[in-house]
Amino acid sequence: MTTGLTEEQLDSLVGHRFAGGTYRIEHWENWLLTDCTGRAPLPGGLVHPIVLFHVPILGVGTSITELFELGGVSGPGSVGLEGYDWEYFVPLHEDVEYRMEGGVVAAHRVTDDSGRVHDKFVFEITLFDGDRKAARITNRWVLRR
Amino acid sequence: MGAAPMSLDDLRPGDEIPPWTMDSVDPARMRTMAAILRDPYSVHWDREANAALGLAGRVVNQGPLNLGYIVNMLLAWAGPSCVRRLTVSFGAPVLDGDRVTARGHVTSLDTVDGERHATCEVRLERDGADVVTGTAVVALPDG
Repeated sequence: MTTGLTEEQLDSLVGHRFAGGTYRIEHWENWLLTDCTGRAPLPGGLVHPIVLFHVPILGVGTSITELFELGGVSGPGSVGLEGYDWEYFVPLHEDVEYRMEGGVVAAHRVTDDSGRVHDKFVFEITLFDGDRKAARITNRWVLRR
Repeated sequence: MGAAPMSLDDLRPGDEIPPWTMDSVDPARMRTMAAILRDPYSVHWDREANAALGLAGRVVNQGPLNLGYIVNMLLAWAGPSCVRRLTVSFGAPVLDGDRVTARGHVTSLDTVDGERHATCEVRLERDGADVVTGTAVVALPDG
């Protein structure tokens, strides 16, 4: 379930910056994603708001796999979602190249009431359309040890 | 808490958002979603692996899809570009075949940079219990 990180190694993740990069949401991808939510495509090339899960991760130059590796976890049941804070400064559209930057903003070890140890892992990514901020995500994960 | 208003022009705190229901969470959609997300996490498609996790051979819906049902409720209510902020926490996992309903109500109204905003408490329910809870800020269409 885990490759294990010492508490010191975990602390050192704070401030880690992702490579940065760009991402263009194509029509087919938005169509399939929206269909997965159980609704029809949005009009005018608007993308479904839940693109803010995978688009920032891939656009900033990382992946779910790499994030798991960074946090020292692998395997079924090793990661839980704690929560999201997603801000939309402008509506997001298909076929726009968004630039992204971000990094790890918090990581710390906790012991729950039952004595189990897990780590909180928080990363933040900002999307830009040109020089204008388009959106910002803060994702909180739980890495189980 | 009041009934769903007929118009967004006369919203008040406490007004309910018309609910949105996914009658049966579809494992085929989870597989498509896993591919779109480039998500190798097998809990979304490998029933055998999940049996070892005590999930009785079922598969786990992606968190973004659970949030997506709440978003669909908001889009159906206030329009396709209404979402300004989503702040949510996840509880128990949603599994294939589950029936879930997104619900919410207005908690406050204000104007930001000339745009009318409604702040809403939102949640996703399964069998009457919350599996996602949070707050949404939506822009309201001009009256």
